[in-house]
Amino acid sequence: MAWHVLNWHWLALLALAQPAASARSVSGSVTAPQGAAIAGAVVFVQPPSPPPTVSEHATAVVDQIEKAFVPGILPIMVGTYVRFPNHDQIQHHVYSFSPTKTFELPLYKGEAAAPVLFDKVGVVKIGCNIHDWMSGIILVLPTPYFTVTDASGKYILENVPAGNYTLVVWHAQSNVKPGDTARQIQVREDVANVNFTLTLSPARFRPAVHGSRADP
Amino acid sequence: MILSTGRSLRTAIFVAFSTLILAVLLATLGLTQWVVGREAVRGLSRDLRTTGQVFASQLEERAVRLQTNSILLASDFALKRVFATHFDAARYDAETLASAGLSYRQRLGVQLVWMTDEAGALLAASPSGKPLGQSLAAFAPLREAIERQAAVTGIVEVDGKLYQMVAVPVFGPDVIGFLMLGQVIDDSVAARLKNDTHSDVAFLTASHVFASSWATSEQHERARSAVSQLAALSGRSAAFDPVPLRAGAERFLSLAVPVEAHLSQPLYALIQGSYDAALAPLHALQWRIAAIGTLGLAGALLTGMLLARSITRPVRALVQAMHEVLRGNLRHRAQVERKDELGFLASSFNEMVGGLQERERIKDTFGRFVSRDVAAAVLSGRVPMAGERLDVSILFQDIRGFSALAEKLDPAALLQLLNRFFTEVVTAVEAEGGVVKQFTGDGVMALFGAPQASADHVERAARAGLGIVERVARLNVLLQSGGKPPLQIGIGIHTGEVVAGLIGPDARVEYGVVGEPVNLASRIEALTKDLKATILVSTEIAARLGPRFVLGRSALLPVKGRADPIEVVELLAHPTGA
Repeated sequence: MAWHVLNWHWLALLALAQPAASARSVSGSVTAPQGAAIAGAVVFVQPPSPPPTVSEHATAVVDQIEKAFVPGILPIMVGTYVRFPNHDQIQHHVYSFSPTKTFELPLYKGEAAAPVLFDKVGVVKIGCNIHDWMSGIILVLPTPYFTVTDASGKYILENVPAGNYTLVVWHAQSNVKPGDTARQIQVREDVANVNFTLTLSPARFRPAVHGSRADP
Repeated sequence: MILSTGRSLRTAIFVAFSTLILAVLLATLGLTQWVVGREAVRGLSRDLRTTGQVFASQLEERAVRLQTNSILLASDFALKRVFATHFDAARYDAETLASAGLSYRQRLGVQLVWMTDEAGALLAASPSGKPLGQSLAAFAPLREAIERQAAVTGIVEVDGKLYQMVAVPVFGPDVIGFLMLGQVIDDSVAARLKNDTHSDVAFLTASHVFASSWATSEQHERARSAVSQLAALSGRSAAFDPVPLRAGAERFLSLAVPVEAHLSQPLYALIQGSYDAALAPLHALQWRIAAIGTLGLAGALLTGMLLARSITRPVRALVQAMHEVLRGNLRHRAQVERKDELGFLASSFNEMVGGLQERERIKDTFGRFVSRDVAAAVLSGRVPMAGERLDVSILFQDIRGFSALAEKLDPAALLQLLNRFFTEVVTAVEAEGGVVKQFTGDGVMALFGAPQASADHVERAARAGLGIVERVARLNVLLQSGGKPPLQIGIGIHTGEVVAGLIGPDARVEYGVVGEPVNLASRIEALTKDLKATILVSTEIAARLGPRFVLGRSALLPVKGRADPIEVVELLAHPTGA
């Protein structure tokens, strides 16, 4: 999976400033070409520049439950801190080699030493050094308007101020560049409804062994 | 010519014997060569196939081991950290990566370590040599590993060398790059395989030999013959039957096992076993068989020779005996002491010669006491079975006063005297062509004109009578000088027609004459005593004697058994006689 899919330059080109009038919502669904619902796709709108700054000490959480990252995909706004609490009875060693954010939380149990600040826009793939199958994604976005599709592939972006936006869908298994999925939308009085079709590559199979203990 | 038969028979037996033995020997050798040769080739082929299987499983094992090792290595967090440095230009240090690669090479005992990014561009290489940043996707294992995001092994060529290569993704936790490890397939691998299986192994394509267990000195020849074998296969992918190959002076059975590899030409593992070495036991066996066969042949020839001699020796003895018999030596016997057919033949032959001898002896004896002429006539079958009427003269002779003489002499002396006497009588009779028909103890009966008819039998009989008298006179001189009394004899001769033929029962049949003249002749002889005459003849005789015979007194005398007296004439001498 290439890191450059979220190269921010194209987003800048697409952004057209429009003063926000009132908050509206954008909703829709993400499906595969055959119509199957795609869960776990991140949908976000690129606001007109400059992006609103994140509030001081805004914190998100990637939990570790039964030897899995929860949630598996976490979109955050750039500048957000993420905590990595470990709720298992065993230790984990969370790391990321992603250029967006390279970090390592050596073996620990319970609350990690300190939250990790994600100060660059991009994709951060996290893993656990001692459990090969544990894999998660933190998508660092330059916008506070993002959501993840549910099991039925549906999404709702609430409280989006009216204006012209670029609406983007992103999925870890999609080979399509975000630029290709980007839609120009106008958020006004009415509820915008935008559906996406994505082609996903088959998931790499890494047999997972869940459970909060060593050998469940 | 006849004797040479033995030699040629012996030769024939000898030749037949040797030919048979030689044929058996050659057939045995041929059969042995065929069977053992076929088995040797089969065994060798089996060995080669086994080696092929061993080789395939070893290769597979190496690949699995290589892959397992690389997966383990790729899971190492330290390695992942090292790999991840390439995301950050500030931290990316190809030299450090390569040195880590060197460490991995030593750790795993592999000859080649490459590290690429997730797209296959080279990040670091140990040993160095490839330009960094170059895409290695041309290497099939990597290309497939990128595609499948999983470990892939394959055989590839790197700088003219053959490698078993594995490309394994490094997860962090997604693929952050590929680790490629290569284990060279070189001469030492082939040598190890040869050590395990005792078969030569070479890895080659139709144009290049990558590795082999061949000795350096024979590389060239072996490679050339191998390439010719591969040319015939033309890229087929199944295993084949071993084919015979010749490299220099040595012959091989060569099995080409296709090896799946990512090369421009099909790769084969050529597994070769020495045909000559496989046949070595056969040659040893052949030598032994040849040695045993030669001994057997010599023994058989000797036996044949002895056998031939044992057959031809009695044959020659028989032939020799036949020659003796041909020459008239009936006393000779074939000396063959055997109990087989030849012995039977020899004893039959001896019996036959014995029979001949007996017949000859009988003929002799017969002749001595009867007459050679009668005997000859009887033996030759000239005497008619039905009998015949013949005009003959009959002579009877008797010793006068024999009884008194017999009493005076001892038996041996008597017989000796008689034999001497009869010898003279018989000689005299036979001198005139007569036959002594009968011995009467002290006299004889002689026939003239029978069984051989003759016109002058009367004169012959007369001369014979005179001859007897003369010979006895000479004998008497001898007897008297020996102090013995002289012998007085009487002779009667008559002529007439008699019936002549074989008379008597079968077993005792003899030639004889019957008729009145016979009786009369006997009576005339009896009259000699009365007349004190030595020879008396009937008038029929006297009438037919020529004037040259000197006749004496004549008398008309009564004869026993006859009504009329008969006239007899004394015969005194013969004008030409002594």
